[in-house]
Amino acid sequence: MSSLTEPLSTAVAELEDDKVIDLVKERINSGIPPLEIVKNLQAGMTEVGSRFETGDYFLSELILAGEFMKEAMEILEPHLAGSNQEYRGTIVIGTVRGDVHDLGKNIVVMLLKGAGYNVVDLGVDVPSDKFVEAVKDTQTPLVAMSVLLTGCQEAMKEAIDALKGAGLQAKVMIGGNYVDESVLKSVGADYFGTVASDAVKFAEQVFAPQ
Amino acid sequence: MPDAKNGLYEEKLKRYTIAMDVGKPDKVPIRLNPSEFVAKYAGLTHQEIYYEQHKNMGSVDKFLDDYDIDALLAPPSLWWATMHDAVGAVYYRFSGRQLEENRQFQYVEGEYMKADDYDEFIVDPTKWVLNHFLPRIHEEFAEPGSYRANVALIKGAIGFMMQNGAMHQAGVSWAEKYGLVTGITGIGKAPFDTLGDTLRGLTGVMKDMRKQPDKVKTAIEVLIPHNAYFAMATAAGDTVFPAFFPLHRGSYPFLNPQQWDNFYWPSLKAVIEDLWKHGKRVLFYAEGNWTPYLEKIAELPDKSIVFHVDTTDMEKAYEILGGRFCLSGNVPNTMMSHGKPEEVSEYCKRLIDKYARDGGFIMDTGGVMQMDVKAENLAALVETTRKYGVY
Ligand code: B12
Repeated sequence: MSSLTEPLSTAVAELEDDKVIDLVKERINSGIPPLEIVKNLQAGMTEVGSRFETGDYFLSELILAGEFMKEAMEILEPHLAGSNQEYRGTIVIGTVRGDVHDLGKNIVVMLLKGAGYNVVDLGVDVPSDKFVEAVKDTQTPLVAMSVLLTGCQEAMKEAIDALKGAGLQAKVMIGGNYVDESVLKSVGADYFGTVASDAVKFAEQVFAPQ
Repeated sequence: MPDAKNGLYEEKLKRYTIAMDVGKPDKVPIRLNPSEFVAKYAGLTHQEIYYEQHKNMGSVDKFLDDYDIDALLAPPSLWWATMHDAVGAVYYRFSGRQLEENRQFQYVEGEYMKADDYDEFIVDPTKWVLNHFLPRIHEEFAEPGSYRANVALIKGAIGFMMQNGAMHQAGVSWAEKYGLVTGITGIGKAPFDTLGDTLRGLTGVMKDMRKQPDKVKTAIEVLIPHNAYFAMATAAGDTVFPAFFPLHRGSYPFLNPQQWDNFYWPSLKAVIEDLWKHGKRVLFYAEGNWTPYLEKIAELPDKSIVFHVDTTDMEKAYEILGGRFCLSGNVPNTMMSHGKPEEVSEYCKRLIDKYARDGGFIMDTGGVMQMDVKAENLAALVETTRKYGVY
């Protein structure tokens, strides 16, 4: 089902948590550049994401992968200092004000990171001015917002209005279980997704080399 | 309540119970979970409905003055913040305390049960709850057995009784004034949900299923009689109305098919079968999408559940469950919020034409309503069902 041949990437894709951690440690010790290890991990995560998209993996697999990826990155972090990690771009994300549902958002974060983006995660219950501030700071062309509660879609609209009001040009993609065309129109976003992998697809468009 | 409001109560009760028995009543019953919409409609803030019981209950009168429905799931807030404050709950945040006046309450997720708590939990869950769980989620129980914790237990128990009493009183008054019947009596959970969202949290339980699957299974088995009993006890033994089961981690795509078959389903099925043996039906409140599991759900005894459709494929639900189980719901929440009354009206007509023609259908929205619902859209739902949903 996968075209992966690299052992670390394959271990990630097959969810072999202990093996992933062992391989990461082993490779650090044998002097392999940490960035290369990160790349292999990411390739595995991308495979996990596409298996989720095709219905072979479920949330349980994504969450497990998220957990051992976190662990692997913690091990790598001290070794990454100084090396310039190359990102394909920076994306700001958050669950809008009033809403504390974050499982969906966390999965989007995981897949975007896996695809090589630098993700600035503002967490849950994020007020408009925090989105504005983060977009200003990062100069990102893309903001992602998650909303589960229909009662908080108004807060999403406020956040989007605030970005526009501040003269920021960043595109906005939104998602969540009740997000559809009618919500997109009403809040004035640029794109909506119904599954986490949609976020990666849209980022691909925004960050495509001109 | 025999002659409440000139037989109106009896009329609504019949309509509702016949539909749940998959029969054909006089009209398609309307059972709603209007939740916070009611508060907004009555001009109240979140803080008022969380803290002031009489306002929380009172707001429903204003709602019922204008909307002619048969059954109601609950008043706008299920949470009485005062009670949670009295015992120092750390897992909730309420407006008027940690949040501003008009904010939705928040649940603070945590691993309130640890990975190595299973053994003690399995031996005696109630004892474990008292000694470990309550102290972790309430400041006032920090030291079990202490003077402070004992007083907190009393305060909590009194608070719980006050809230139940207020709820019961309100129910009696709505029955008298509006002939309204209660949508539910008692509440329960899938054993896996008890473990997976209340105790261990999602990440915790996902790891446990891999690292210590046998303990997860045993803990779930221990919860079967407990959850069945809880539903019956909170219903005070009533078997006319169904117990409310808001179901979380069983929706697609949380668990893989093997996990669903092994961890989620057998224990939930056992709870439902046990309740049904006592004549107690379950409102299977299938939050999210349950389409892949419909065949399994069809294994349940006829009529033992009302299957509620949120984003499950309605057509498939009808195909697989229709005729054997009453179905409810499916009016999209986004339409209630962003649509026009004509669209809502069309949608309800279509539901009635396709899925209610042989009875066994209850009108409702897919998810719990919130403050975003437009009053005119709700009016369209109610009026269309009343006019068009006549057998
Ligand atoms: C788990 C859950 C909770 C947990 C949340 C825990 C957490 N840390 O997130 C808790 C118990 C805290 C909770 C609380 C409440 N909840 Co809740 N909850 C759910 C539940 C069961 C599952 C949501 C979920 O996590 N799904 C799994 C994730 C992975 O799916 P997802 O979020 O849709 O994300 C996917 C896609 O949408 C997409 N996606 C998500 N974000 C983004 C962003 C972008 C940019 C893109 C491209 C894609 C994308 O990618 C994901 C993966 O593919 C849903 C019902 C359901 N099954 O949907 C109700 C539900 C969302 N809750 C609801 C309600 C009402 C509440 C409460 C008000 C309590 C109540 N009365 O029941 C509180 C509110 C608290 C608050 N202030 O936010 C209602 C909302 C109704 C409405 N009108 O909107 C729902 C729909 C239940 C229902 N059917 O009525 N809830």
